[in-house]
Amino acid sequence: MQHQLLAIMPELMLIATAVVILLVDPLLPVDGRRGLSWLGIAASLTAAYATWISRGEEFTAFSHGIALDKYSVFFKILLLIVAAMAMLLSEKHLFLKKRLLGDYYGLVLFTTVGMMIMVEAIDLITFFVGLELMALTVYLLAGFFRYEERSIEAALKYFLGGAFASNFLLFGMAILYGLSGSTNYQEISDAVRLGPAPAGPLAIAVILILAGFAFKISAVPFHNWAPDVYQGSPTPAAAFLSVGPKIAGFAAILKFFTLILGSQSGTWVPMMIALSLATMLVGATMALLQKDLKRMLAFSSIGHVGYLLLAVVATGHTGRNLGMAAILFYLAAYAFMNMGAFGVLVFMANRRPGFRDTLDDMAGLARRYPWAAAIMSLFMLSLTGVPPTAGFLAKFYLFSAVVDSGFAWLAVIGALFSLVSAFFYLRVIIYMYMREPETELVESEADLEAGKSWDLDLGLAVAAAGVILLGILPAPVVNAAQDAVVKLLGN
Amino acid sequence: MYEFQSQIGFPILTLLTFLPAVGGLAILFMRGKPRLYKSLTLAVTGVNFILSLVLIFYFDRYSADMQFVEKVPWISSLGISYHMAVDGISVLLIMLTSLLSLIIVPASWNYIKDREMQFFAAFLFLETGMIGVFCARDLFLFYVFWEIMLIPMYFIIGVWGGPRRIYAAIKFFLFTFAGSLLMLIAIVAIAYLARANQYATPVFDMDLLEKATFSYSVQIFAFLAFFIAFAVKVPMWPLHTWLPDAHVEAPTAGSVILAGVMLKVGGYGMLRLCIPLFPDAVVAIAPYILVLSLIAIVYGALVSLVQKDLKKLVAYSSVSHMGFVTAGIFALNVIGIEGGIMVMFSHGLLTGALFLMVGFMYERLHTREIADMGGLAGPFPVMAGFLLFFTLASLGLPGLSGFVGEFLSLVGLFTYNKAMAAVASIGIILAAAYLLWMFQRVMFTNLRDDKWYKFPDFSLREMASLLPLGFLAIWAGVYPNTFLQLIQPSATRITEKMAPYLAEHGGAIERLFASLGGLF
Repeated sequence: MQHQLLAIMPELMLIATAVVILLVDPLLPVDGRRGLSWLGIAASLTAAYATWISRGEEFTAFSHGIALDKYSVFFKILLLIVAAMAMLLSEKHLFLKKRLLGDYYGLVLFTTVGMMIMVEAIDLITFFVGLELMALTVYLLAGFFRYEERSIEAALKYFLGGAFASNFLLFGMAILYGLSGSTNYQEISDAVRLGPAPAGPLAIAVILILAGFAFKISAVPFHNWAPDVYQGSPTPAAAFLSVGPKIAGFAAILKFFTLILGSQSGTWVPMMIALSLATMLVGATMALLQKDLKRMLAFSSIGHVGYLLLAVVATGHTGRNLGMAAILFYLAAYAFMNMGAFGVLVFMANRRPGFRDTLDDMAGLARRYPWAAAIMSLFMLSLTGVPPTAGFLAKFYLFSAVVDSGFAWLAVIGALFSLVSAFFYLRVIIYMYMREPETELVESEADLEAGKSWDLDLGLAVAAAGVILLGILPAPVVNAAQDAVVKLLGN
Repeated sequence: MYEFQSQIGFPILTLLTFLPAVGGLAILFMRGKPRLYKSLTLAVTGVNFILSLVLIFYFDRYSADMQFVEKVPWISSLGISYHMAVDGISVLLIMLTSLLSLIIVPASWNYIKDREMQFFAAFLFLETGMIGVFCARDLFLFYVFWEIMLIPMYFIIGVWGGPRRIYAAIKFFLFTFAGSLLMLIAIVAIAYLARANQYATPVFDMDLLEKATFSYSVQIFAFLAFFIAFAVKVPMWPLHTWLPDAHVEAPTAGSVILAGVMLKVGGYGMLRLCIPLFPDAVVAIAPYILVLSLIAIVYGALVSLVQKDLKKLVAYSSVSHMGFVTAGIFALNVIGIEGGIMVMFSHGLLTGALFLMVGFMYERLHTREIADMGGLAGPFPVMAGFLLFFTLASLGLPGLSGFVGEFLSLVGLFTYNKAMAAVASIGIILAAAYLLWMFQRVMFTNLRDDKWYKFPDFSLREMASLLPLGFLAIWAGVYPNTFLQLIQPSATRITEKMAPYLAEHGGAIERLFASLGGLF
């Protein structure tokens, strides 16, 4: 029993901190609440450290409910870094919007716990508990600015769609349970592989599960919530929920489709190819049409999901771990560059009261805020996939896996959409550096002073450093990603 | 895996490559001190030029081996290493790059007035990318530098360019990025195919890849992917359309670097990667490439003939001149390859100088329309002298660098096929026509505006930028051996590798006609 609690030490630390934050918050004056973000960040980083020192151990706990191995260690540390960055980006924005409540940090921590459980689960029920813990708290984060109509709309849309998706997933899992008589991944896998599982119900289960996951990671045709939700959510929360749930979702998809359904890849690989192509197409073309940067980032993130699905295809098709490792690296790179891009929007919103996240508002930014424009360019170039940034290496790694699996034509299509994506990412740079604003937004000295926050600056610096380091010295993360997936596939 | 063999005892290639980037980073912290960062840029490019001379001095010009090798594991689990080494071709082009980079600095000293700090920083990052491309011996590393070149140039055109700069910058970026992505997929494909044959990890090392063999269909696919990426840069007809826009809109420094160096990386890539890695595909496709080169030579010259804008004229003449590069290279004999490289070198000097001059003229007259000029020789005799020199060199006057390259390239082509050489020589005649006619309209005819007499002729600073280029043009024209010696072992090595394939498949032109015959 002791051993089991030790297994979820990091999660327990987060939960304890979250509870403390929720209890203490009402007792503090508004100014005192600002320290709560640091409590949350400290908890995340400590939990990340605790996860790191346990990286050598491999065992299952809670009656084979969760597995602790290098795979979960990789993802848990990544998620904890994302959570810490999200809190760095949030504090000042919440203060300026007069919604500085400790609840926010509590919710971020609970979401993180949910995602961590999703990542380490090897049992359908454990997984679902993690999923719902993440989902419910994320809905609340999306609607955190409850006096803003758009924020409420975002929360409602996210909630309704998410509830449907959870039910699809649950239904698919129920069929799997019916077919195998177990909720344990390994046992289901054995039953599916060895037993004479009826093809019809199995295919239905695969389709339902795929649909449920497609919503969670915003793959076409279940993507429509993402732009509205990102646009309506508070920008720092959008940064968090554009990255965190996607990481957890892909971690779970990989386990699901390789551990449980690896033997059925003939069924799901074609579906996954179709899903990936549609996702890349819609993501890239719709992003071209956006004037609002949060919507643009939403559609572009749909495009990135399309690329990631390509690597899932590669993994499923060959059973080799190259594609999986590529996904792990891609998600790490994506976390830094996407949160960084949202972070710059937060930075601007904090300083310019009239800032509306549109391209026009970015015009001429390079003159007034040369550093902000420079790192925004860095994030945009990284998202495009230009070296020497993290985004390039991620794309390179991913295309390697796709080409190696024999799907060179898919890689060519992926490259084509990369080219399209250059259009809308570069447009941001063009507005910042090469256009002058039509109506100059002038912020007063007071606004400028009020908007300053060194923790946001620190968050942006961390994101920029991550993008550059993963681009130039990626070997440790590449190796970690490769180690992490060896046990799952065994090659 | 760790390997370091340098004739001088310190990693000169790394220093050459990254010194500019370090300088560029330093500049970003010198806000509000224009004299300081301009001087720093000058110092960094100056030191780099001296380093490139040191490189040439210690380079063993009788060896075809890769020299100054530096090899360090980088992303070992993916088979990627930091592998730098140079041969004679790289050394020559590195020298050209660092010379042009040095010359650009004084030429941009007062020309760039807006956001100068970022300009000089972008410019230094660009130099890192260009020199890196010429040093890289690992495909991944090569690609990284290849793309690093792209970004600063995109900014230089888009931020400091002319009125249609945004359009030109996007066009430039998308054309080259599209080519790059094709190349990226080909790189990945051959790296993983080579692994499947022999190695535990993918193979990105060019030394190993040159020994690997690929099936015919893979070679064709990979060759075309690489070739298109390089052809965009060269640029070959019909992928050249970005070039006039980019050249016309770019600031002087951008045009000089674009024409002087960035067009060369295309030809360099063909020599370095396309031919050694995919010999079967080269033999099969070379005839078609030669046809495209001939079209580029004649088309570029004809279009230059009718240009009204001086800068556009020089830009289109580049298309024509670079046609000689690809024609020489894909004639696949030593003379042709030497000629192609000499044309690259000479074009870098001469077109660089011509773009500089167009820039200097624009600073005075505020126009680039040939029709608005006329009679400039009166008020600006020095300018007329320089322009005459570079015009004559560019049209291939014997005794100047342009002649040597084009002559060798033509001889190479003649060995390969006489009819093709005849067509190519039309380009030389046309070059004389458009260049001399341009000179006449700009410098002679009637003086358009009397107030031009009030403007100063070329200053010392301006002459200082042009003189080294002219000096090298004469040197290469009078005693080309200095440069040919550098190139020859490498060119020989390339053709020796090709020889068995050529012998096996016979004359390419016969096969071209045979395959055309199949159409009828």
